[in-house]
Amino acid sequence: MRVGFVGFGAMGRPMAEHLLRAGHALSVWSRRPESAAALLAQGAQWRASPAEVARDAEIVCTNVTGSADVEGLACGPQGLAPGFAAGSLHVDFSTIAPSAARRIATRYAAHGIDFVDAPVSGGSAGAQAATLAIMWGGKSALATRLQPIFEVLGKSIVHVGATGAGQVAKACNQMVMVAAIEAAAEAARLAAAAGIDFAKVRTAMLGGSAGSRVLEVFGERMATREFAAGVEARLHHKDYALLLDEATRIGAPLPVAAAVGQQLNALMALGWGRDDTSSLLRVLEAGGQRGPVR
Amino acid sequence: MKVGFIGLGLMGRPMALHLEKAGHELHLWARRPESLAPFANVNAKTHASPAEVAKHAEVVIVMVADAPDVEAVCLGADGLASGAALKNEPGLIVVDMSTINPNAARSIGLRLAEKGIEFVDAPVSGGETGAINAALTIMVGGKAAAFEKVKPLLEKMGKSVTLIGDSGAGQVAKACNQILTGVGVLAVAEAFNFATKSGVDAGKVREALLGGFAYSKILENHGQRMLDRNFKPGFKAWMHQKDLRIVMEEAHRMGLMLPSAAATAQVFNAIVGSGMGENDSISALMLLEKMSTPE
Repeated sequence: MRVGFVGFGAMGRPMAEHLLRAGHALSVWSRRPESAAALLAQGAQWRASPAEVARDAEIVCTNVTGSADVEGLACGPQGLAPGFAAGSLHVDFSTIAPSAARRIATRYAAHGIDFVDAPVSGGSAGAQAATLAIMWGGKSALATRLQPIFEVLGKSIVHVGATGAGQVAKACNQMVMVAAIEAAAEAARLAAAAGIDFAKVRTAMLGGSAGSRVLEVFGERMATREFAAGVEARLHHKDYALLLDEATRIGAPLPVAAAVGQQLNALMALGWGRDDTSSLLRVLEAGGQRGPVR
Repeated sequence: MKVGFIGLGLMGRPMALHLEKAGHELHLWARRPESLAPFANVNAKTHASPAEVAKHAEVVIVMVADAPDVEAVCLGADGLASGAALKNEPGLIVVDMSTINPNAARSIGLRLAEKGIEFVDAPVSGGETGAINAALTIMVGGKAAAFEKVKPLLEKMGKSVTLIGDSGAGQVAKACNQILTGVGVLAVAEAFNFATKSGVDAGKVREALLGGFAYSKILENHGQRMLDRNFKPGFKAWMHQKDLRIVMEEAHRMGLMLPSAAATAQVFNAIVGSGMGENDSISALMLLEKMSTPE
């Protein structure tokens, strides 16, 4: 298939490489051309603008940072929209506001262009191993056209619902995951404050009802004090603003998420935004004594 | 003085009428023409656009809902800036009395300054009653010279007018005000619900506490309305929700930990989400009652 791709960060680059290796013809554009160099060496074709990428491809995939980036890329001058023919398909893997996804879909619909929001979970490790969890929103009839793309990128592919539904699922995913990281951090803090080795506590918990993937992965980083990124905390901070804003818009109380959001604000203030989110432990430590008080 | 006024809602209408009563000539524009009806028989001229208002006025007061509205009125097509550019004698001060994000206020101020227009942010506290009684608290951000020029106008609408600092500082003060009132209303509601569920008369508790360090105007006024179960606005819960959203957006942008405001904002989400958004903020009490074991 002729596939367009824009956005070659820690996630986008390995995803684009998988598509190339699966035999798709890839045309690419990037704001920073050097980020596409490795792909061009593997056979991807450079295009002068997003519009040129759109003109060439049956499906265009994007993976950029925020709502404004995706909207600019889709509908801005020299953006994808002017290049798309009616019947084209744009799959966006970025994590953005559900309302932004719906806005883009509405603007495209007037020109017969389809939009699918397909945020992913699994981090750069999942992108490299092609084991991402893909949660997508859009017309279910598009599933067969999406399958050849999705199957080379992820191992769990779920159609959640109409446009924006993928982003809602991603918001839920981020909310549950980061709240679990905070819970693990609080457990680590409680154990250390009581003079107990958290590594032992973690091992014990992994065998019981509190066992979880987060306790396994992020709990280990806390136990070994390995705070270099894995997942840059600033990205979770960004996701929390999105989901709390959505909660305000629809009038849904999220008391735990709101509290976790404040811990993330403190993490940013302490300068750990480019470190792993397991740094939530260091936020707790900054707020109190390190060892037993008495 | 020739004073423009845009935004003639619950707050704006009585505020504009105070200025007219003080002898100022009003220049008005309204998105909904019916908002102009109360001004039919006073010294007020109506115009076809904000641009026209800017052409005729020395000072324009804006009192609308949120930042995008302020931006549209000031900088949009046929906005104040496009009218000011066509004036014979240059010089315009825009006084925005809406409650908006401080960062948005600074940005609008900068863009107006590029066009030679002074911008002052002057949000208010005191609600509709304060507006009707010309008893608002007005918190101002902007240059001292511009403040001195508009101060006599602000004093016709409020009884406390304070220059807090540079552009945006008025909105920062208002955000602080909304943290204190939001958290405060919830604290009083929690105390009253705690007393009642403990089998104790919340009215007596209030009376006793008013004499101590827990005294506050919120305990006194909002507390009384909770006891009277008078949930009519006052200040609507959805507006408080909007104001706390501004607070939390700024906390996120700057990396600030505001745990109480964050928790309070979620309670306001629940108030609005359960259909009480049009009630007064004190509906927090009804929400807590719903979430508590009945007596």
